[in-house]
Amino acid sequence: MHANAKGFVAFALVPAFFFLGAFYVYPFVFNLDISATDLDIFQLRDGGRWIGLENYVELLTSPGFRRVMFNTVIWLTVVGVTVRIVLGLALAFLLDSRTIRAWRLSTLTRILLIIPWATPPVVAIVVWRWILDPRVGAANQLLMWLGLIDQPIPFLADANWVWPSIIVIITWNTLPLVTLTFMASLQSLPGELVEAAEIDGASRMQLLRYIYLPHLKPAIIVMAMMSTFWTFNNFIYVWLTTGAGPGTFTNVMATEIYIKGFIDGRLGYSAAAGVVMAMIMTAFGMIYLRYVAARALVEEEDR
Amino acid sequence: MRHKLGRRGLVAGATLAAALLAAPASQAQSPVTITFRFNDPEAPQMRAALDEFEKANPSIKVNMQRISWADMQQQYLREAATGTAPDVVHISFVQPRSFGGGKALRPLDDLIARDGAQMGVKGWNDFFARDLAEGPDGKTYAVPWTTDTFTMMYNTELFEQAGIKEFPTTWAGLRDASRQIHQRTGKAGWGFPAGSCATPSIWFYMNYYFWSDGPGWIDKDAAGKYVMGVTPEKATEALAYYNSYITEGHNPRSNLSVCLWGAPELVEGMLTGNTAMASMPDTVAIEILTKWDQRNPGKKRPFMTAPHPGGKNGSVTNFGGRMLGISPNSKNVEQAWALIKFLTKPDPTFKHYNNYTPAQRAAIDSRAWDAELAGYPKQLANSRSWGPYATGPVPIPFMWNAVGRAAGSVFIGEKTAEAAGRELHETIARELARLQR
Repeated sequence: MHANAKGFVAFALVPAFFFLGAFYVYPFVFNLDISATDLDIFQLRDGGRWIGLENYVELLTSPGFRRVMFNTVIWLTVVGVTVRIVLGLALAFLLDSRTIRAWRLSTLTRILLIIPWATPPVVAIVVWRWILDPRVGAANQLLMWLGLIDQPIPFLADANWVWPSIIVIITWNTLPLVTLTFMASLQSLPGELVEAAEIDGASRMQLLRYIYLPHLKPAIIVMAMMSTFWTFNNFIYVWLTTGAGPGTFTNVMATEIYIKGFIDGRLGYSAAAGVVMAMIMTAFGMIYLRYVAARALVEEEDR
Repeated sequence: MRHKLGRRGLVAGATLAAALLAAPASQAQSPVTITFRFNDPEAPQMRAALDEFEKANPSIKVNMQRISWADMQQQYLREAATGTAPDVVHISFVQPRSFGGGKALRPLDDLIARDGAQMGVKGWNDFFARDLAEGPDGKTYAVPWTTDTFTMMYNTELFEQAGIKEFPTTWAGLRDASRQIHQRTGKAGWGFPAGSCATPSIWFYMNYYFWSDGPGWIDKDAAGKYVMGVTPEKATEALAYYNSYITEGHNPRSNLSVCLWGAPELVEGMLTGNTAMASMPDTVAIEILTKWDQRNPGKKRPFMTAPHPGGKNGSVTNFGGRMLGISPNSKNVEQAWALIKFLTKPDPTFKHYNNYTPAQRAAIDSRAWDAELAGYPKQLANSRSWGPYATGPVPIPFMWNAVGRAAGSVFIGEKTAEAAGRELHETIARELARLQR
């Protein structure tokens, strides 16, 4: 490359590097620095005292850490993402079906699908809290009217119901993106491929297994990874729905960071929890890209 | 020509000079705008009081900012650290010590020394909870503004139907009454909010349980060292006591989703007669009476108030309340101080902001209480300051949150009272040890 061209490339990259440095690298390094101090919210003007790895040791050995990790990894992420992917696939197949097209419902169903997605999460959560309210909520009124229950259920304060309720709220609000992504992928599937398989006598299950799912695989992989990142880091759904309660029953990493930082006032400890959270996600991303996504996408290219 | 221009220039220059000379005078007369961060829901009432202040002080304008109590601490501390905090800030009784210690408030000693005699009804010495206004360095960082305490409000008709003549004076008696009301009327007994959040009501009720019989979570020993005042067994006992209301069914499980003492669900429960008893500050009790009168014009109010049950120390609750402080970055200290002095005068501020009681003895003594609220002055007479909680090293929000989380775990059956009591004790003891290290 000519020296002038190299210079121009370097010059053109300056804004990108500036923003990366200012908004990603610097805050990360600053957070790393805070995580090794006992900085608390009441001493912001004085700063914290250097305490090395104490915050990390306390976090990783604290009695509640295992519970927080279980809630974050299993309930919020594994269950939450799996439900979204499975339902998203089912809904995408349904909305892309010949029946829906034959009844000329495609446009209507797509508009209906976008409504939850267009609803801001805060609004969705407030509405769902009303629906699930034990006294005046529509869910309890309906269940009692149907005779399925004789006492209202405090969905967001009952150990048996609180996690399923949170998953329902997250799914309702985020399912459209997953469904639309899968629908877009389905629509790129050549029709003659399906017709040829049908002529060859393929059953519906065989079509699903050998035609549709392999075609959808890249979309599923990308959507699963993106959903995992969004969900694992998510704060708003759990905090606004249950406040990490009842007790600490729905406390996840993001709410733990908020509680420790802004209620208990321990910003140093909170920063350490943030670093641990970032490291977990980085490790997940690397493993996923190396062993799952890369392999699947290479297979797709080879086909 | 040159001569004419010169004359014109001279006239123009003279005019300009006159305008420039006049400018500082007119600028000096333009009002100074100060910001006041107000956190209570009574914004229109407070605006009316501020309008009166502006009328009495034409050189000062007040820009009222709003924020919820839940968000005020972190927002204010961030602003104070970066020099962008409002001039006057509305804080709770538990905050001046930690805010002052963190240099997030301006010390007020010089202003109080100068104007103390003119403050409130009878001067600075008549204000109470002044100990809570001090920082760790002994300086005063805030001015007590309003005060309140929790008192039991009960439905006299439901008590009568259940055959209960007197409001119970022991904790066991209160539970018996709650159970009896539920058994005989089918209504909830003591419907306390049992939900989890960062500032749950159960924090107050557990403290009242402890204080009526002994020390609270943190106590100060003879050597001046802060120690744990509550044993794991006592913590377990209190958690089991409150849990029994839920397991026995006289506090409905729907209250597991209610966290705060003034929640609409609780207010409605009292108004509809579905709940026989509630514990709340006077502002909420006044709201219930007002709504009752609106819905039942001319009908007798079926409510009374009484102090909480007691033990060997009697019935003990806490002085809650609000204070006013000045941020360290304020460039309008005199104007901010003028506003604080104005707001602490019962007349006219508390004519508008009339659900609240000024934190001054003379104002409390002269306050006229409705007959149904007779329990409040009795309870106030037995109230205490947060004491070692406020002066000790463990921040109250930390304990408040921890107690609420532990209680929530017990109420939903996730943990036994014993396990939660032991863990809660360990959590607070560990934090105390860490901060005293």
